[in-house]
Amino acid sequence: MPQSRNLLRVLTRRSEGPLLLCLLAVIGFFALASDTFLSVRNITNVLGQASLAMMAGIGVAIVFISGEVDVSCGSLLAAVAIPLIVVMNATNSLALGIAAALALGGVVGVVNGFLAAYLRINSLIVTLGTLFVLRGGVYLYTGQTAIPDDAGLESFFQLGNGRLAGVLPYPAVAALVLLLVFAYVMGHRPFGRHVFAAGGNPDVARLAGYDVPRIKFAGFVVSALLATCAGIMLASRLGSAVHVAGLGFEFQVVAAVVLGGVSLSGGVGSLFGMALGVLILSFLANGLGMLDLATEWQLVVTGAIIIAAVSFDEFKRRQKL
Amino acid sequence: MLSDPHSPALAMQGIGKQFPGVVALADVDLTLTGGQVHALIGENGAGKSTLIKILAGVYQKDSGSIRIGGVEAELRTPRDALRLGIKVVFQEIALIPEFTVAENIFLERHPVNRIGSIAWGKLRADAKALFDRLGFAVDPGARARDLPISTQQMVEIARALAHEARIVVMDEPTSSLTPKEVALLFTVIRRLKSLGIAVVYVSHKLDEIFEIADTVTVLRDGRHISTKPVAAHTQDSLIQDMIGRRIEFLFPRARGPARSDVLLSVRGLSTKDKLRDVSFEVRAGEVFGFFGLLGAGRTELAKAIVGFDPIRSGEIAIGGQPLRPHDTRTGVALGIGLLTEDRKTEGLMLEQSVQHNMSLAALGGFAVAGFVQEARERSAVQGFVDRLRVRTPGLDRPIRDLSGGNQQKVLLSRWLLRGLKVIVVDEPTRGIDVGAKSEIFALIDRLAGEGHAVVMMTSEMPELLGLSDRIAVMANGRITATMPRADATQEGLLSAAIA
Ligand SMILES: Nc1ncnc2c1ncn2[C@@H]1O[C@H](COP(=O)(O)OP(=O)(O)OP(=O)(O)O)[C@@H](O)[C@H]1O
Ligand SMILES: [Mg+2]
Repeated sequence: MPQSRNLLRVLTRRSEGPLLLCLLAVIGFFALASDTFLSVRNITNVLGQASLAMMAGIGVAIVFISGEVDVSCGSLLAAVAIPLIVVMNATNSLALGIAAALALGGVVGVVNGFLAAYLRINSLIVTLGTLFVLRGGVYLYTGQTAIPDDAGLESFFQLGNGRLAGVLPYPAVAALVLLLVFAYVMGHRPFGRHVFAAGGNPDVARLAGYDVPRIKFAGFVVSALLATCAGIMLASRLGSAVHVAGLGFEFQVVAAVVLGGVSLSGGVGSLFGMALGVLILSFLANGLGMLDLATEWQLVVTGAIIIAAVSFDEFKRRQKL
Repeated sequence: MLSDPHSPALAMQGIGKQFPGVVALADVDLTLTGGQVHALIGENGAGKSTLIKILAGVYQKDSGSIRIGGVEAELRTPRDALRLGIKVVFQEIALIPEFTVAENIFLERHPVNRIGSIAWGKLRADAKALFDRLGFAVDPGARARDLPISTQQMVEIARALAHEARIVVMDEPTSSLTPKEVALLFTVIRRLKSLGIAVVYVSHKLDEIFEIADTVTVLRDGRHISTKPVAAHTQDSLIQDMIGRRIEFLFPRARGPARSDVLLSVRGLSTKDKLRDVSFEVRAGEVFGFFGLLGAGRTELAKAIVGFDPIRSGEIAIGGQPLRPHDTRTGVALGIGLLTEDRKTEGLMLEQSVQHNMSLAALGGFAVAGFVQEARERSAVQGFVDRLRVRTPGLDRPIRDLSGGNQQKVLLSRWLLRGLKVIVVDEPTRGIDVGAKSEIFALIDRLAGEGHAVVMMTSEMPELLGLSDRIAVMANGRITATMPRADATQEGLLSAAIA
């Protein structure tokens, strides 16, 4: 008994604890409610779907922790697919296509970071702006249709649709690797701690000799590059550059990041928390879909859960004070 | 290479600095010598913190030169200053709230292992060793935000020593330390001296200057007034240099004896964490002082009786009317208000103007039919700015731009403007210069004379003895003794506080 109570304490002390319990509760509920939910096929499918939000979520969480906001990832997802497909169609090379996509993503990150971190323009406004500009640009370039992949490279197809050992989708593998790498960076490399410090108290960080704008700038660039990775995976899955790809994606990501305990005011949060947030929302959407609940109701339930979870966090924090 | 400990470690010459509308510094010199403590004193707004911020690379000087070890130094960013061995402990405490104490200490330079990962074990061990060496009892694993101000201050000081600084600057380091902690700090400063480190020490507490400093530089209105060995000064000559006049009585007393009507009555007050069965009454015209060591529960008491914090049991009455606990609205309506100890987080709206900060609690009084009469508000605010000699470039300036002591004066005025029956002040003179202190004492005396009740929490024994009518001593959340001032002695108070 005391053993299990200890375990419970460890779980509830770390901010990830309640999230993990919440995820297990969601999985448990749907496992009982539906007999196909717990199949290997379904679980790995959900992981595959969750991986895009997870990749982009890493970047968004880092930007949030640094005390800024990034909501541009939805349009970026669609935008980077264009250079990817166009270059691939022209050169027949996956590597060049990916390089082109990363170049566009990098430029967007640099622009976001320059405006928000160096010129100190409110980052919500800046990234909302890029969200609109990119989506508009995509519509203009594509003429509101999809650009199909004519090169038909097997490697490109495998990227989003293949499975490791035939089980785990590659995007899920990539998301997991990126998660571990960035969790290590944020928790154990000086750079990661600088990000926390810049968001936790920028004045202190500056006095300690940090280049706060550069730290925040780096956050925006990393965020855009990770969203680019998600965009490449999505394009592979769709087999084309789709003009409406990623519509509303930024809201899913922000919701998951906030659900995962990352503070909107900076300095607080963990990437594992964010990942759990993504998984909870993904399993919830999948499970509710299986129960034949109308999408309208799925939205209502998801929204209610986010509000409840964030309120719970807030109450717990206040109690401590 | 070992340098001569008595050669000038740093020389600032002809330093000038302007802010829009203010000349903060004009032609100021400061020469520091290794192994010496150089005190920097002056009124609120004299320019002490500005000079230090230039040294720290936070502000850029407009004119003048800074030479370190004979070489012209460019201090463009805090990083430049750190690289040149200058470490500043700022007036406003500067820790990352979510980080542990150990991580805050090594914020400038996280120790890393071979592959560049942060060496958490070494970080904690180094912090622990540092605290042991300094004799500070602080848990390196504690989160900074969970610590009281005094402990955060000690962490700040430890932080300065964690890096091989050649010049350590402390801006009012003792403003939230207990006498015991101050003694500890002085031991640390003497150790720094023996290591050949140059120390700059800013304080408004003159007795500290005489105890620890070798040399004193006085600034007034941004100008350099004098630099002398401390032995060449007396208390009076220092004050004379600082404010350009003499102070006859630090604790003026013009009021008569307290009246008989009770304005504040507290019965059997207990809170969840700290307070146990606290009862006292304060009458109109009375200054009721609370003494206690840090952690005795004075701040908790202050917050509970104004309705800021919840209570577990007990009754509070203002002028005979019961106060609903944990409800500052009725508290203010009944006429009780608190001047908080922690002005930065609980008192000030940093980005808002001096005027709005001061008139916050009194706006209703300036309103006609729901509209605030700007002109009346302004003239009332201006009145207090003049009376307390608040140094501000204008009433519309954000209060962030004021010096620390002047911010405190604005906060005190907030309640004076509101016209309260009972005023609770928690460490009212923290960071305030001698001139303004005597103004504030005179003001408290006058308020009591006008029939207000004043509850004063302070760890400054002379203030307590100089100003109170009665004194209560707290220890561990209880009142351990209550005595009229005539019966109080320093020894008596201390022994009751330790009980
Ligand atoms: N960032 C700023 N913008 C505008 N004015 C400023 C700024 N910082 C300081 N000042 C002004 O410069 C003058 C000197 O301020 P400073 O903080 O150096 O005083 P101080 O001697 O440290 O006073 P205290 O004892 O109250 O801490 C003050 O009049 C203050 O209002
Ligand atoms: Mg100052």
